Amino acid sequence: MTAFIIRRLLWTIPVLLLVILLTFVLMRQIEGNPFRRSSRAVSPAVQQNLERKFNLDEPWYVQYALYVKGVFTFDLGPSLVTRDRTVNDIIKEHFPKSLELGLLAFVWAIALGIPMGVIAALRQNSAYDYGLMFFSNVGYAVPSFLVATLLIYYVSLKAGLLPTNGWINWKYKILPSFALGLAPMAYFARLVRGSMLETLQQDYIRTAKAKGLRWRRIVTVHALRNSLIPAVTAVAPLLGFIITGTFVIEVIFSIPGIGRYFITAVSSRDYSVVMGITVLTSFVIVIANMIVDILYGILDPRTRDART
Amino acid sequence: MTLPANPRDAVATGTAAPDVVAGAGAQAGAPIEQANLWRDAWRRYIQNRGAVVAGAIFVAFVAFCVIWPIITPYDIHNDPVNFSQAYEGPSLKHPLGTDKLGKDLLTKLALGGRISIAIGIGATLTILLIGVVYGSIAGFAGGRLDNIQMRLLDALYGLPYLPFAIIVLAIIGTNNLWTMVIALSIASWFTAARIVRGQIITLKENDYVRAAKAVGARWYRVLTRHLLPNTLGILIIAIFLELPGVILGEAFLSFIGLGISPPDASLGSMAQEGREVYRVHPNVIAIPSIAIAVLVLCANFIADGMRDALDPRTRETKEH
Repeated sequence: MTAFIIRRLLWTIPVLLLVILLTFVLMRQIEGNPFRRSSRAVSPAVQQNLERKFNLDEPWYVQYALYVKGVFTFDLGPSLVTRDRTVNDIIKEHFPKSLELGLLAFVWAIALGIPMGVIAALRQNSAYDYGLMFFSNVGYAVPSFLVATLLIYYVSLKAGLLPTNGWINWKYKILPSFALGLAPMAYFARLVRGSMLETLQQDYIRTAKAKGLRWRRIVTVHALRNSLIPAVTAVAPLLGFIITGTFVIEVIFSIPGIGRYFITAVSSRDYSVVMGITVLTSFVIVIANMIVDILYGILDPRTRDART
Repeated sequence: MTLPANPRDAVATGTAAPDVVAGAGAQAGAPIEQANLWRDAWRRYIQNRGAVVAGAIFVAFVAFCVIWPIITPYDIHNDPVNFSQAYEGPSLKHPLGTDKLGKDLLTKLALGGRISIAIGIGATLTILLIGVVYGSIAGFAGGRLDNIQMRLLDALYGLPYLPFAIIVLAIIGTNNLWTMVIALSIASWFTAARIVRGQIITLKENDYVRAAKAVGARWYRVLTRHLLPNTLGILIIAIFLELPGVILGEAFLSFIGLGISPPDASLGSMAQEGREVYRVHPNVIAIPSIAIAVLVLCANFIADGMRDALDPRTRETKEH
């Protein structure tokens, strides 16, 4: 087990290097330079000095090496456009808001999605099942910006219950996190239903029944625990989905998170900020994948050898 | 990267050989109706009511998008702007109302649907093409190369496609149909490659492949004649598995203002326009968004139905 965890931890290092390289290569292809914007022409000498200051005059592999060094010492460099701020400052200010939004969305998804899946599985082919699965199919297909707009329209504007935009106290956080969490919720519900139905067929459930255990105990102790294992693997793709979703939700609800900042950074060609945010979100995914794999290795020992 | 269209994918990526049903029921004696894989699959598909309804709605919507702009009395791009008719509600003249320039929303919906579907299909096919090339190399070569390729996929798997799509759009500079296709496929082909590889590895063990190799068929003949044609079934399912994610991805990009450049508008760009006025005219954002939802929902159901039709074994666990 320890060997498995160590192998898995070591494997993330080349992955992270690769992700940085990929972002780095892509970023170098973007035409234009933050110091060469026509609106604010800079003299060639000044430009040269600026490029030297930010190491833009070095060959690409030196820039890459410097950048990697920066990433692993938690220094993502200065912002190229907002001169008095570093990328670290920007991330420190905006990232926690996005993180909170994403985590709250996960809370909605888990708190409502799993019970929905369990109920649908236990009452298979009943009206509950069909109703819940219909809700889940629709919730999974509706774009989050429609959910968000409808929530703002009916809950905030018509009923006046919650604020329309901003990120100040808990009242501001309910609608955005719910709009973001709806699709993952629907996903969990379907996933848990499917794996619960499969688990209920297993021999050990029949054994438990034969032993005369109470149904409630069979469901909670024997069936639910095992049918949640596949849900663990869903966390990684869901995380990617939620990160994507925060871009949209932050724009709609005017939340000063990292996704909204990223979009402005791309248009102002703030390389270091764009790279910093892309690398950061990729790191979140890679680390989450690693944790999921290790968790899965603990929960289901059969997978330890197959995965590294 | 969006979610796989069906939670069951997270549990087991379908890698079953599609040829198990071919020839079933063939008995010696009088010629009987040939049990063809595709005919068999079709028969199973049309028994699935949800999938049939979804398929019909999908086809109807595509037909509407193709045909309506031809027969409509309105010309969105060339009709004069008429602010006195802006944001009208539904009427006989304009069944879905009008937009901020007084243009017919129904016609706009059809045009937007055209672009969204074109981008969706373009990106899906690109994703599958990359997936087939990458996956079949890995699956066919096996050994070291396969190992390296799969490690690479593991590394890239789950990366959020949106930042990469945004960077790609910034690199290319202009936003047209093709750049959207590239941006949407660049970081979304990982699942497709895995599916193809799995399929090729399963197929490789079949006796007819061994037989072909034994009689001295070259590797490219084995690949193109015996392996790739048998991945067709799973690729057709994969089209409808990838389509929802791509359509939603395009909508997201357009919604945050990185969509196709005006005057062309996809469903996502229409929703973005509607965002400006949703407090007063919620229908302007609701109409294109509902169209997106319907497309995505139908594609999910079609993918489910096709999987059950082409690979009946997966259905058994579901129906107990």
